[in-house]
Amino acid sequence: MPTNMPTDVPGGSGGDAADDTDPPSDPEACTYTAYEDGEALVEYPETGADATGVEADVWAALSEVEDPEMPVGVVDLGLIYDVAVDEDGRCEIEMTLTYTGCPARDVITNDVRCAAETAPGVGSAEVRLRYSPEWTVAMVTDAGREALREFGLSV
Amino acid sequence: MNGGDDADAPAAASLDRDDLTPEGQVALEALLFRLAADEFVHAERLTEWQIFAPTIESDLALANVAQDEFGHARLWYDLLRELGYSEEECIWRRAPDDWTHATLVERPFADDGWGDAVVRTYLYDVAERIRLEALVDTSYAPLADRVGKALAEEEYHREHALSWLERLASDDEARERLQAALDDLFPHALSLWYPGEHETEIRAAGLRRESLASMREEWLDTVVPTLEGYGLVVPEPDEIDRPAARGRDGSHTDAWVDLYEAFTATHREVDFDRPARLRGEEA
Repeated sequence: MPTNMPTDVPGGSGGDAADDTDPPSDPEACTYTAYEDGEALVEYPETGADATGVEADVWAALSEVEDPEMPVGVVDLGLIYDVAVDEDGRCEIEMTLTYTGCPARDVITNDVRCAAETAPGVGSAEVRLRYSPEWTVAMVTDAGREALREFGLSV
Repeated sequence: MNGGDDADAPAAASLDRDDLTPEGQVALEALLFRLAADEFVHAERLTEWQIFAPTIESDLALANVAQDEFGHARLWYDLLRELGYSEEECIWRRAPDDWTHATLVERPFADDGWGDAVVRTYLYDVAERIRLEALVDTSYAPLADRVGKALAEEEYHREHALSWLERLASDDEARERLQAALDDLFPHALSLWYPGEHETEIRAAGLRRESLASMREEWLDTVVPTLEGYGLVVPEPDEIDRPAARGRDGSHTDAWVDLYEAFTATHREVDFDRPARLRGEEA
C-alpha cells in the first residue's frame, strides 16, 4: 500500500456515518447543521458541481490534473477544498494533501496552479494548503474509487 | 485544562496573521521554530537507519516515520514562511546556535544502536502526542488547522516503537542494551520540556494551552510506568545531572555541529545563484 493512502486513519472510513443513523435529539434539527454558528457544514468532497462562471471553468481545468503517483485526478481524490475567483481574475485554490510528508507536494500544487491559470478569465492563481478537515479515503468520489481500483488499490 | 494562568488569553483559532501583536508574533515564531527543529533534526537522524535497520520491514517503517516527521517539520516551516521567513533562513543558512530543538533528537546512534532508536522514538513520540494535544485549541488559526492531521499520523509511530520495545525487552541481552540507551538518552529527553525565552508570552497569547510543567508530568506519567513494565529502570528525573547543553536555548552537544555540517553541506557546495524551479513556475 503506498504510504499516502492511509485507508485506516482514525475515523477515516465513513466520517459522518454516525450522523446518518443517530436520530436527532431535537426532531426539528437537521443533523448536518451546526446551529451554534448558524452555518451549514460544507460537505466533502468538493467537486465544483455547483460552481458557475469562471469558477466552473477552473474546476473543469482542475479535473484534468492527475495525481503524480497514481492515475486518478486530484478533484476525484477529494484534494480540492475550495475555488474562488475575484472580479480581477485572481484565483485562490484551497487544497489538501493525503498526508503531510507527501513528496509530490510541489509537483501537485504547481500542476494545480498552472491548470487554474489556463481557465479563461483567470489572470493569476494561488494555491493554499489546508489540513482541516483531514483528508480521508471517504473523500474520494465514486469515479476516483473506480480509478483507484483499476490501479490495483482496494478502496 | 490546567487551571489556567492563561484564562484571559485569546480564544481557540481566533487569531490570524494580521491579528498578531508584535510580541505575539515573536512568541509564535519561537514556538514554531522549536516544533519544526525537533521534527527536522529527529527525522534527519532517523534517516541514518536506512539499509541498516535489523529487518526490511523495520527499515521501511523507520524511513516512513522519518518521512512523516519531515512532513510535520514542513507544516510548521510553512507557517514561518507565511510570516516572512525563507526556507534558507529556516533551515539551510540558519546558524547552528539558533536551532532550539531538544538535545534528545541530535544525539548520534551507537554502532549497534537499534535499542537507542527504539527508546528514542518512544520517548519522542509520546512527547509529540502530548504537545500536539496541547495545541489543538491554540489561538493561532493557521496552526489549529494543521494539528489534527499531524496527531492522526503520530499514532503509528508510537505503535511501532512500542512493538519493538516489547520485542527487545523479552530478551535479556537486548533489554540490557535498551537500559543502556535509556540511561544515555533520558537526561536529553528531559530537555524536550525546558522552556525557551518566550514561554510566558506563548501562554499569554494562547498559542499553547498547557504549561510545559504539566505536559512534562503527563509525559512522565506515561513513559515511566510503561518502561518499568518492560523491566527497565527509569532514572529519577529530578536527581539526574542535567547535560550542560540545554537545546532550547541554542546550546547543543558536540554531535549537533557534525550533523548540521552534514545536512547543510550540499546546500553550501551547490551554491546556486537561483534555486531550481519546477516547470511552469514563474512562467
